[in-house]
Amino acid sequence: VKQLMELHILEHSLKVASIEKEGIQICTHGLIKLAFLASKTRCKFFSLTETPEDYTIIVDEEGFKELPQSEHISVADATWLALNVVSGGGNASNSQPIGVTKIAKSVIAPLADHNISVFMLSTYQTDFILVRERDLPMVMHTLSSEFTLLRVVNGETFAAHDLGVTNGFVKPKLVPRPIIHPLSSPSNMFCVTSLDPDTLPSVATLLMDVMFYSGGPKESGASSEDSSHIRFFSFSLIEGYISLVMDEQTTQRFPNNVLFTSASGELWKMVRIGGQPLGFDECGIVAQISEPLATADIPAYYISTFKFDHALVPEENIQSVIGALRTKSTAQ
Amino acid sequence: IMSGSKPDILWSPHHPDHYVICDSELGLYRIGPVGSSETKAGTLPLSEETAATLLAINSDTPYMKCVAWYPKHEPECLLAVGQANGRVVLTSLGQSHNSTCKELVGKEFVPKHARQCNTLAWNPVDSNLLAAGLDKHRADFSVLIWDISSKFSSEASVASEKIRLSSVDLDSSSVVTKPLYELGQNDACLSLCWLLRDPKLLLAGMHRNLAIFDLRNTSQKTFVNTKAIQGVTVDPHFPDRVASFFEGQVAIWDLRKFEKPVLTLTEQPKPLTKVAWCPTRNGLLATLTRDSNIIRLYDMQHTPTPIGDETEPTIIERSVQPCESQIGSFAWHPSSQNRMVVVSAANRVMTDFTVFERISLAWSSTTSLMWACGRHLYDCVEDGAEGVESVIEKDIATKMRQRAQSRYGHDTVQVWRNHLLAGGNDPQLKSLWYDLFYILLSHMKQCAEDMELKLQGNKQSVVYSGIKNIVKTSSGTKESRRCWNGSDRQTDLPRYDSEERCLALRLCGWMSRGPDIGVEVFLRSLEQDREWERAAAVALFNLDIRRAIQILNKGATAEKGDLNLNVVAMALSGYTDEKSSLWREMCSSLRLQLKNPYLCVMFAFLTSEPGAYDGVLYESSVAVRDRVAFACMFLSDAQLPRYMDKLTNEMKEAGNLEGILLTGLSKDGVDLMESHVDRTGDVQTASFCMLKGSPGEVLKDPRVQCWIENYRNLLDAWRFWHKRAEFDIYRGKLDPSSKPLAQVFVSCNFCGKSISYSCSAMPHQGRGFSQYGVSGSPTKSKVTSCPGCRKPLPRCALCLMNMGTPVSNCPGTGKSDEKVDLTRENKLAQFNNWFTWCHNCRHGGHAGHMLSWFRDHTECPVSACTCKCMQLDTTGNLVPSDSS
Repeated sequence: VKQLMELHILEHSLKVASIEKEGIQICTHGLIKLAFLASKTRCKFFSLTETPEDYTIIVDEEGFKELPQSEHISVADATWLALNVVSGGGNASNSQPIGVTKIAKSVIAPLADHNISVFMLSTYQTDFILVRERDLPMVMHTLSSEFTLLRVVNGETFAAHDLGVTNGFVKPKLVPRPIIHPLSSPSNMFCVTSLDPDTLPSVATLLMDVMFYSGGPKESGASSEDSSHIRFFSFSLIEGYISLVMDEQTTQRFPNNVLFTSASGELWKMVRIGGQPLGFDECGIVAQISEPLATADIPAYYISTFKFDHALVPEENIQSVIGALRTKSTAQ
Repeated sequence: IMSGSKPDILWSPHHPDHYVICDSELGLYRIGPVGSSETKAGTLPLSEETAATLLAINSDTPYMKCVAWYPKHEPECLLAVGQANGRVVLTSLGQSHNSTCKELVGKEFVPKHARQCNTLAWNPVDSNLLAAGLDKHRADFSVLIWDISSKFSSEASVASEKIRLSSVDLDSSSVVTKPLYELGQNDACLSLCWLLRDPKLLLAGMHRNLAIFDLRNTSQKTFVNTKAIQGVTVDPHFPDRVASFFEGQVAIWDLRKFEKPVLTLTEQPKPLTKVAWCPTRNGLLATLTRDSNIIRLYDMQHTPTPIGDETEPTIIERSVQPCESQIGSFAWHPSSQNRMVVVSAANRVMTDFTVFERISLAWSSTTSLMWACGRHLYDCVEDGAEGVESVIEKDIATKMRQRAQSRYGHDTVQVWRNHLLAGGNDPQLKSLWYDLFYILLSHMKQCAEDMELKLQGNKQSVVYSGIKNIVKTSSGTKESRRCWNGSDRQTDLPRYDSEERCLALRLCGWMSRGPDIGVEVFLRSLEQDREWERAAAVALFNLDIRRAIQILNKGATAEKGDLNLNVVAMALSGYTDEKSSLWREMCSSLRLQLKNPYLCVMFAFLTSEPGAYDGVLYESSVAVRDRVAFACMFLSDAQLPRYMDKLTNEMKEAGNLEGILLTGLSKDGVDLMESHVDRTGDVQTASFCMLKGSPGEVLKDPRVQCWIENYRNLLDAWRFWHKRAEFDIYRGKLDPSSKPLAQVFVSCNFCGKSISYSCSAMPHQGRGFSQYGVSGSPTKSKVTSCPGCRKPLPRCALCLMNMGTPVSNCPGTGKSDEKVDLTRENKLAQFNNWFTWCHNCRHGGHAGHMLSWFRDHTECPVSACTCKCMQLDTTGNLVPSDSS
């Protein structure tokens, strides 16, 4: 009997928002509360990612209330649900690829085939696949053959039943997926890490500095030295777990033994997708990137932001990744 | 730098006096008696008897998240510490000289990806195995089982695993990076415990489910989705029972029926921090919530095997407060009964605490009292100066048993005689049964009168309502001043008279109805009983001084008489109503020296001002009935109800059965009886007394039903089954609503109708036949055939005769045969001829035959049937103890 993987449909109703860099100061109160004072809010899902363009916030409805209304904030008009793949009853062998690569063929590609737009958020702990709430019947229909679908309600999992709506579903078109957006690879290297929530208060000021004062003179001076250096930082606090993505220089600013480092001390390089803002409606972008990586068995993190997508691959694989992706690219 | 770390306690698995406290560091303590030679200055008091000494401190392992003590004897103080970054470090306390420990201490087990280590569990059998539960990582496992004896990572594996040990690992040779087992991919593990039923099974509280991993086949797991995934712990006394919790709720699981919790305990408002089974006591679970100074205990002692259907076991819940301060953690002592050490949430204040065992108490239906506490069973024996024998004699259980045997309560004609059946030495019972006697007598007479007068009496129940209520309704009271009997001297004593007061006097027994109206009959009966003083007092109260003097004389001259009564008679004869006479003055002061209360109240009466008779009314040694009768004669309509109420309340409070005279068998009477039963436990008297009540009134009172049921249970417990049956019959007569409907019928094999039920159908059939001129014998079926279809009833397995019992008198039988049949039917209706059969093999026969068969045999009389019928009958082996 083939033991199916489990796909958990989490209970958070998520909003995706973009805060302009110049508007960040009006939001800091709420963001600090969401990031460091979790017990003061009822927010269970919070993610903040800083890119050169903006801050992308993914937050549940409870957390969204902490943000002010402002012309500096744009909110994607859909409500998103997070999906999470769990190995379930089976016990996968050690050699299996990790992260986005693992789910590229089983989740991302089928969703792309059905024209379902996805928004990805990889963390230290797991990968979240965000889909629009209105697409859920289609998502469930698409994935029900590959997964045991479970819905999380009030912290407990229950079997989710395929809603049985098959009429009107478009037959997937199984076409090759060329890469259509331009790619770039910044020079800096990244760490994906975490820390003990008990030690969060001790590094809170440092984190605030990293989050909100990166545009200061000190850093801009550094970035001017290397034009391909990118400003990228991601913090998430999801169901009590903290995940951090930052470049190697930033990790140097943390005290010893605070950040979790893997035994192998992996470092990651970034592939940035998109020349123009990607928007939320185009499908298959994640699939275009993740499928070749899966084929080459290269582990990856994938972080979507309001305007662009970002994949992280092991530093030693970056050249082969760029090579593999470029051959598929139509943009070149 | 651990801020605000939660303290925990671990008892040494093998040293009953060693424990470790872990907060920011590890502290090893030894516990001992206070002030013993071993304890030095600097010991910490833990309780009135015990104190702890700090033996060693270990602060080598920062970022501690969890600790587990190596379960084997050697090395004896080896601890595994789980850290915030997921590393597990072996360390030790106070064992520097120990070489067995040395090679293990300092060994580190490092996961591929750092994240918090939430829990540790040593395998209780294969103690080389140490399971660690970690937080989630997208590309790693959350349950790692380390082999502590494994050699350090070889160069080859270092290369292949791409190990880049950080600079912290000074001695990289002591680092192990390859777990023996990796389980729970892309999941989080919050709690772990090895299952006692098989050391290859590991129970883990994962992110949203409880999972059982089997090390023999790691690709499979048994799991159940639940939120209750924290603190999994297996009951040491019941290896299939597991507790886990989520926030404020504890779930109890049975691993044999793992789909859902067998029960969930009442939810606590604050989140739980620790749940632990008591290792020395079966089924006792202790729980602790955050910011609390109590430990809540759940006793699942009487849990039935949870295999059965949805049976929720009963749980006794209680709380203990080991100390004043908020509790950080606690730990049961591994061997000392119900003992635990508690550590406060702040400042590491420790308390040695023993949970006092619940006491369960059991009275036997005879005289003994036993209680159980912990592993002790106590038999309570009251030892007094009079010796055990008399104490047992005095016990109400003994008394009720003896009274049941002497048919107490069953004399329905001379009702007063029941007090003699009860032993005749209890004045309250005597008074009670006389009260009931007079009530029933008055009731009968009234009924007879009403019949004569053709009255449809709703008045009949008034005699049951008690004198207090009777005199309240008194109207048309006449006041009279009568002469002293045998003298023409006018008294100035007002005497009151009315129909109700007259009834009251009858209920008191002072007056009788019929030809001898007046008090003379009563006086004579008192003389007969040699109650001289009482008789004299009653005569005096009836204004007959001469009769009183005559009675006293008689008493003085009677056999064994008291000559002093003559002196009293003389004093009495000097009576004068002159207010300022010497006689009056002397009598009113000297009367108090009289020992006999009746003599005393006689002079009180004679020396009182009219209407002020407190000296008589409140003389508690005088029988209530006499005082009430006196009050009915001499108190005015204004005074009387007040006195009655006062006396009634006094009686009710004391549970004095003499008060039944006042309350009657009314709700007031039940109140009084309740107070009596509370004091004495005499449900027997209460049952019989209330059954005499006017039907349907007091009997509906739930208290009365409770006494009756308890009395029946007592009779059953004494195995007085015949007495109980007798009581049920008696009760059925007085309280028709108590008769149970027949619920079991013997049905015919052929037509399926009840063989007794068809009796009532008989007349109809008979009439049918008689229409055709056939009467008598054709309709009358033999007792050995079914009255419905007239096919033969089954045969007795022993005598091979068809069985048959006339179950009730059939109205259809012909009159001419009646006399002949009666004897035969009576004979057949005896128990020996009853049907009886085994519910297991369905063989049977006449009860008498079966009884005698099973006296010598164990197996069924039917050949080839090996059923041990009699042994299957649990009550069949019991013998009634009241059988003659």
